[in-house]
Amino acid sequence: MKPLLVIGLGNPLMGDDGIGPRIVEELRGNPRLPECAEVMDGGTDLLQCASQIEGRSRVVLIDAIQDGSEPGTVSVFDESFAGLDESQHHAHGLSAVEAVGLLKLIAPVPFRLLGISIASAGVDRELSPTLRAAMPTILERVVRELAVG
Amino acid sequence: MNTIVIDHLARVEGHGGITVEMEGDTVTNVRFDVFEGSRLLEPLLRGRRYDEVATILSRICAICSVAHALTSLKATELAFGVRVSPQTELLRELMYRGESIESHALHLFLLAVPDYLNYPSATALAVDKPAAVLLGLRLKKLGNLIQETIGGRAVHPVNAVLGGFGRVPAFDQLIELRSAVMQGMTDADAAIDVVASLPAADFCHSDTLYAALRSPNLDSYYAGDEVMVVSKGSRAIIRAPEYQELTNEKAVPHSHAKHSTFRGSPFMVGSLARLSVNPRRLTGRLAVAVKRLKLVLPADNPMDNNKAQALELINDVERALELIEQLLREGVKDERPVPVHPRAGTGTAITEAPRGLLIHSYTYDEEGRVVSADVVTPTALNAASLELHLRRAVEQCPERDEAVISKRLQMIARAYDPCISCSVHLVRKR
Repeated sequence: MKPLLVIGLGNPLMGDDGIGPRIVEELRGNPRLPECAEVMDGGTDLLQCASQIEGRSRVVLIDAIQDGSEPGTVSVFDESFAGLDESQHHAHGLSAVEAVGLLKLIAPVPFRLLGISIASAGVDRELSPTLRAAMPTILERVVRELAVG
Repeated sequence: MNTIVIDHLARVEGHGGITVEMEGDTVTNVRFDVFEGSRLLEPLLRGRRYDEVATILSRICAICSVAHALTSLKATELAFGVRVSPQTELLRELMYRGESIESHALHLFLLAVPDYLNYPSATALAVDKPAAVLLGLRLKKLGNLIQETIGGRAVHPVNAVLGGFGRVPAFDQLIELRSAVMQGMTDADAAIDVVASLPAADFCHSDTLYAALRSPNLDSYYAGDEVMVVSKGSRAIIRAPEYQELTNEKAVPHSHAKHSTFRGSPFMVGSLARLSVNPRRLTGRLAVAVKRLKLVLPADNPMDNNKAQALELINDVERALELIEQLLREGVKDERPVPVHPRAGTGTAITEAPRGLLIHSYTYDEEGRVVSADVVTPTALNAASLELHLRRAVEQCPERDEAVISKRLQMIARAYDPCISCSVHLVRKR
């Protein structure tokens, strides 16, 4: 088991909400992915990844974030998730923020969140042209963040 | 006129909400708005090849991903006249049990119990009552493990394909899974203890129509194609191809989801409906648990759906164990999926997803491309019934305090376990 788990969260059917899994796709097999890292598509329920998280040294989440910043901006949050809304955005799942609070009960692993700013999410199997254009820059930033211990 | 608006239903912002309008003490209007992803996704399917459909639809919902994927496979197989092997039926049924355990554990312990005990979230509840939250997390993990062992992946499993399974579980994997499921028996019993200890939630009474797949022994969520509708003193049966006789969907201006009524009456689907339609299996440990929870069927209190979910946890774990033991006894054959030959036609599949009846109906052209697709989810089927119960709750509430009414309405909506906007997962800044 590799010590670092990178989980992309989001729904690829919902336009830019799917940025997390898209980044994971790009990272899979990418030579710049750190040797110590494994990537997985976490869909829209982080709690489903519980058994993959147990036993890791650290976990990095990649999720879409609506914060009014330029789409494609990458913001880094430690596990206090200062400034993020922990309330749910779906009825029978939990936000990444709340799910991490619960996962810490069974897997005391340090978490970090790379939030990718998006403008909106709607039914679409493609990313918006803005995010597609920003992808190389986003990937560059994500790879650099993953290299940070 | 007084209006009560709950726009953050189930801690969901933006896409779901309840509005109650009153003139004095009379309720004039109750509206439940739901952002219902599946309907909006149907245009994405038109023109798609038959072998892409299940993968696309499995993404509608994280928690019901298996139900959408497997119901989709069943509908396409019916359209093409494909008959899967008995082993495939068993493995698919086992995946359904895993998803049901996972879903009920999440809903009961991480969403509903905090409501009953007046905590704003499961994280807040965990500070004072970690045992209840850990119990929920353990059961959820068990459900995930079943899906992962059979489906090949923890999230959006990949092994279940048209005609069967791309890869079947190894003997050793099933032995390990059996051991985990046996431990889960204790947790399922503990779940009854927790639910039995919750304060009574008795906010409205109303004769209710229930609809569920007919399965006298509660042993089939996946197979079968007969829906039974029951109320006090009457029953009716609808077969899958005639599902529109059950749904009678009508667009309503205030909701993204269409409303369904059966012969003019709203009906409820889900755990309470399954037990009401199929009460014969409530024997042994289940009968003891029914007494402990003081559940009387047919129920007239929608909050009893939470009790029914706790009972189903016991039944799901028992049934999962039976399925694993059957697979071990008969030996899992490394069989290839049945070949699929597309043809023009329609297939309609109905299954019991964790929150109730799930219907997928597709029409394909001779090349196997989607001409039309209809996906009707439990949340959409429940919408009219939920509105009725919300109305009754306001009418029957002895107090006119808005905070009291709001809390009751939120708890009733939660008891229905709706899937409001599970198709997106973004985080917002405060």
